[in-house]
Amino acid sequence: MAETATRMRRGVARLLALALVAASVLLGTPATAAPRLVSITGSGSTWSQNALDQWRADVRQNNITVHYSGVGSTAGRNAFAQGTVDFAVSEIEFGAEANEAIPRRRFAYMPIVAGGTSFMYNLKIGGRRVTNLRLSGDVIAKIFTGSIRMWNDAAIRADNPGLNLPARRIVPVVRSDGSGTTAQFVKWMNNQYPSIWRPWCRSKGRTEAQCNVLSFYPPGFTAQAGSSQIAGYVAGSNAEGAITYVEYSYAKENGFPVVKVLNKAGYYVEPTANSVAVALTRAQIETGNPNAQNYLTQKLEGVYNDRDKRTYPLSSYSYMVIPLAHENGVTEGKAYTLGRFAYYFLCQGQQKVDLLGYSPLPINLVEAGFNQVKRIPGVVQEARPIRSCNNPTFSTDGTNTLARTAVNPPECDKKGNGQQCTAGTGGAAGTPTENSNNNSGGSGTGNGSAGTPGGTGNPGGTGTSPSVAPTASQSAGPGLVDPATGEVIGNGNGGGGEQFVAGVPVSLAGEGGWRLRHTMMVLAGIVLLALVVGPPLIFRRSGVTRTGTEGPKR
Amino acid sequence: MSPKHPVDVPTGTPTDAPADSAVRVARARSGGGGSTILPVRREQPDAVEVRRVTATVRRTDVFAAVGATVAALSVTTLLYTQLAPFDGVLGFVVLGYLAFLGFYGLLVSLDEDGPAVRDRLVGAVVHSLGFLVLAVLALVVLYTFAEGWRPLTHLNFLTEDMSVTGPLEPLTQGGALHAIVGTLQQIGLALLFTVPLAMICAVFLSEIPGRLSRLVRTIAEAMTALPSIVAGLFVYATVILALGYRHSSFATSLAISVMMLPIIIRAADVVIRLVPGSLREAALALGASQWRTVWHVVLPTARSGLTTAVILGTARGIGETSPVLLTAGGATSVNLNPFDGWNNSLPLVTYALTRSPEESFIVRGFGTAATLMVLVLLLFVLARLVGGRGPGQLSRRQLRRRARESARDVTRYARRAGPPPAVRAVGPAPAVRSAGPPPAPRPGTAGADRHGVPAVSPPEKENRDG
Amino acid sequence: MAPVDTPRTTIPGAATGPADAPRRVRERRGGADLLFRALARGGGVVVLCVMLLVGGFLLYRAQDALGVAGWSFLTTQEWDPDAGAGRFGIAAVLTGTVLIAMVAIVVAVPLATGAALYISEYAPRRIRQTLISLVDLMAAVPSVVYGLWGFFLLQDNVLGLSNWITTYFGWIPIFDVKDSDPRDPLSTMTVYTSSTFVAGLVVGMMITPIVCSIMREVFSQAPPGEREGAYALGATKWGMIRAVVLPFGRGGMIGGTMLGLGRALGETIAIVMIISPVFKIQPHILENGASSVAALIALRYGDSTEAGISALFAAGLALFVMTLIVNFLASMIIARSRSGAASEV
Repeated sequence: MAETATRMRRGVARLLALALVAASVLLGTPATAAPRLVSITGSGSTWSQNALDQWRADVRQNNITVHYSGVGSTAGRNAFAQGTVDFAVSEIEFGAEANEAIPRRRFAYMPIVAGGTSFMYNLKIGGRRVTNLRLSGDVIAKIFTGSIRMWNDAAIRADNPGLNLPARRIVPVVRSDGSGTTAQFVKWMNNQYPSIWRPWCRSKGRTEAQCNVLSFYPPGFTAQAGSSQIAGYVAGSNAEGAITYVEYSYAKENGFPVVKVLNKAGYYVEPTANSVAVALTRAQIETGNPNAQNYLTQKLEGVYNDRDKRTYPLSSYSYMVIPLAHENGVTEGKAYTLGRFAYYFLCQGQQKVDLLGYSPLPINLVEAGFNQVKRIPGVVQEARPIRSCNNPTFSTDGTNTLARTAVNPPECDKKGNGQQCTAGTGGAAGTPTENSNNNSGGSGTGNGSAGTPGGTGNPGGTGTSPSVAPTASQSAGPGLVDPATGEVIGNGNGGGGEQFVAGVPVSLAGEGGWRLRHTMMVLAGIVLLALVVGPPLIFRRSGVTRTGTEGPKR
Repeated sequence: MSPKHPVDVPTGTPTDAPADSAVRVARARSGGGGSTILPVRREQPDAVEVRRVTATVRRTDVFAAVGATVAALSVTTLLYTQLAPFDGVLGFVVLGYLAFLGFYGLLVSLDEDGPAVRDRLVGAVVHSLGFLVLAVLALVVLYTFAEGWRPLTHLNFLTEDMSVTGPLEPLTQGGALHAIVGTLQQIGLALLFTVPLAMICAVFLSEIPGRLSRLVRTIAEAMTALPSIVAGLFVYATVILALGYRHSSFATSLAISVMMLPIIIRAADVVIRLVPGSLREAALALGASQWRTVWHVVLPTARSGLTTAVILGTARGIGETSPVLLTAGGATSVNLNPFDGWNNSLPLVTYALTRSPEESFIVRGFGTAATLMVLVLLLFVLARLVGGRGPGQLSRRQLRRRARESARDVTRYARRAGPPPAVRAVGPAPAVRSAGPPPAPRPGTAGADRHGVPAVSPPEKENRDG
Repeated sequence: MAPVDTPRTTIPGAATGPADAPRRVRERRGGADLLFRALARGGGVVVLCVMLLVGGFLLYRAQDALGVAGWSFLTTQEWDPDAGAGRFGIAAVLTGTVLIAMVAIVVAVPLATGAALYISEYAPRRIRQTLISLVDLMAAVPSVVYGLWGFFLLQDNVLGLSNWITTYFGWIPIFDVKDSDPRDPLSTMTVYTSSTFVAGLVVGMMITPIVCSIMREVFSQAPPGEREGAYALGATKWGMIRAVVLPFGRGGMIGGTMLGLGRALGETIAIVMIISPVFKIQPHILENGASSVAALIALRYGDSTEAGISALFAAGLALFVMTLIVNFLASMIIARSRSGAASEV
């Protein structure tokens, strides 16, 4: 019934389309034999939007016009299925979610960039921003299912021996639109912490199948649409206590720190380009049949459970959905333009992504991507020698250079040794956080000022020593060096109490309620008014009684 | 008519016509002594009552207001700094205001009686409400300009688009050209679709009354309630999803048209209905056909009002974000082809840029908002220049021209004063000219009908330049 | 009114016939006129068709979702159209829309009344025209500009007020905020952001000029004779306003308010910029999280599949019906009132 209705609609639609498009056809030029550059459109993920925007701007000088609208992965896949865009970008594939239909349009997946889903937060202790927060996976899952509600929860304190966390409410902020970031996060929680995630998810009225992957986060938290908006919300001045999940680049862009997440090896790791590259060496990429629909899609269980010390567990690839047929408005020219664009970002485009906060694709995926591009009918193949791409992951022996050169996390980031690195993370890499917890950690034991590697996105790693990686901004000495002035700031001996200018709030007993001083205040106010108003009124009244005639002057 | 009506209407038929009561008031006032002598006044049937200023300001009022202000300020400051642990600007203002009202009432009550005190207090409240609204509204505009003037100082803001401009680029690179181009395309196409249709429809509604026109009017009025987002959704579902016609300026212009059409029709209908029936009757009596009457009399008479209707509809359409959000796509580069490819518009770019957490994008967003405001402001000023006058009301230039022409007519008549009777002079040609407009009656009052007959009398001056 | 041209004209001797009966006037129209009438009628029919097409399409697309959901569409708070019946409905968004509009009206009406009275009764004559133009201009300011103002300027400054209200009036259910604790010095202000209240304030400021300009128009039409009569009987200015202007303008005031309400219900972008969408009935207006039908459409149109679009159409239809009723009531009240006959609204 609905089927026939749809078909009828389509039929009518075609007829009307002819009439409507007639006007534009008159204006258009006849198709030419040689492919020419036309503008192409795509929509989808905001997770990888920063990279796409960069590439878009890069290819613009070659007269390649790419319109991209970051509306969320779900909307992007949807738009592709409906045929309103030429390509889509998504973190999860079609049909990964329960009751999502596979589009009738012919398509293939192509990985475009890697990155880490990070947890950006806005937290201050005594008026100073915390930049070195560490959390273990179950704590994160509990925060985003509402069972840990305060920053000074014992579980969070256990993760952060160096921080005197305030009794402030945690404000988890989630995506309100259909999002691939949400889907990646949910997949991770569902896989790693089903006992925390599933009951909560079910309690929100989601079905068993839906809880595996969800693009729409269940209700109950503050929600914002789009990565940049959610990041902006958390970065807002009155959003203290907020935490959210976004791609690492958004935290860098906003100058905010991200949580170091505990990996299976017992280290708290930041989602730098290196740690993501290490993690994704364990990703299971579907490479069986190049013509299968799920060719090149990812399975991330290996990443979640990787026992490498340097791995960031929430790493994943982002995919572009490319059309494989000239339908839904995809023409020879569009395919040609899309091919040019794809060749660019798969090759040279990967060079700069780590500066943005992503991780470049490894060589095997770049090659696979090249092969996928060829499948778009109308693409003019470019004989681009893959070595010329200058991708930082490429090496002569076929291993992932970025992963190979990644340095081990410093010992102060190991779980359970009572220390906490003070170096900042994410966009706040230059801002270390002093040890504020005088009770635990002890004096001198928090001497963890060894810089975390790659905090500034240094791809090669100039220092290859596994324990200490001196960079420009962090010295391995006992003091911290201000990156701007070169002066030693902070003594780094763990006490650091004198660093705090603002006082730490202390709750007083008996706050609130009506007390004597309130009564006194009201009395004082009344006395003041009586003093001002009383004399003339009394005088006037007595004047009236004396003369008896004084009325209002007219 | 309320029982407090000041004039005791002598006749049995109470009337609301303002002109009558004015005359009666005048008569009642001029009467003195025992025998009432009505002054001989030239009855001007279309004399409109004019409100007179009756208010006076006395020194005591000023003293009371100033005194209360000072007292309120002092007391509140004392409270805030010495007596109570209050803080916050808002609290200070509110408390100070309440104190002011109290003191003011008290001061006035020293001199005046109850009703006068109430009058003064309400006066103070109304004044402050008026100022508050105007201040807030001014704040909305000024804030936008204050935040957005920086990008506007760079010329590239109007000559470049955002295709290669990232958040880190300085304001000397990138601009809102794509948005301006898109907006102009969309509103231009929308006007192309709506204006002829709306004008024809409005003419139909007022010139060919009947059941059909009543139906159309009802439906058009109902559609003014259509939320703009629903108009956008309609076009999104039909043109983009069902017809497979991609996002483009054309789709947006359709959405804006759906939204603007009923608004313009309604406004134009009101304006055309205000054209005095006497003008139409005069034209018809002179033998003009209906379309000539409409073309040469009705439309020119209502021209300024129609233009205003269109311009205000344009201002409304140009500022709408939600239909654009659903149908334009959101391009970052200039697209000169409105029929193919994504596009953008000023409100959508404003929305998109300010959603970003990037400071530089937000500033640019305010810049586009300021540009949009300037555009709306220009349209508004334009509407005020051409419009703001009722049908038949003439501008100064037109008045001068009319005087010139009638002077010419007088000399012509004087020259012809001899044999040929005046009837001969009125050939078919003047019939197609518009009859001279009587001063505009108040909308909707019975005025138009009342002096319909005298309006036809003298040979009229034309009004063709509108 | 037959003109008597010359003295020679005699009255026709029709006295013998039947009494002066109205004669049938025969219209004879030329080709051009017929063409004109056909064209005008055609224009009307085209407009009618367009409007009916929009309305009909709205109904047509909505009926799929309405058929699936049935009455649960009105009672369900969630929004998950792909999950089938009982999983999507407008209970939450419609309530949210009404709440935002109510806040807007509560803010706008006193302000607009005050400003309208000021402009029409108190303002010096010299600046009156300027003020009128200013208010009319403000009514034309795009809503995205109000949204900017609300998001970047108003929201941060209104949190303190929200905090104050919930601290002292939190016992009134709608002012309650779940996670707020006035005694907690570290309590976060985020619980007050993105709320119905903030969105309502912004929309209220947006509709104030619209309401104000209608009220001002009506107030200024109060008959001067009656005004002066009131003065002559010794009324103060306020007495005159209460006895003459307000009763005269009552219809216009109500009608203008309803018209503002119609605009508030349909407002989209300013609300989208402010709120954090929730899909449950949110009766606490100061609390983070609000919803509105228009915002729902703007936020979800892209994510929606066939079923979702249909559900959005159903929501849009509900919104349309609501604004339609409000607008019709408004024009009815205006038309019936004493001042209404003269009003262009």
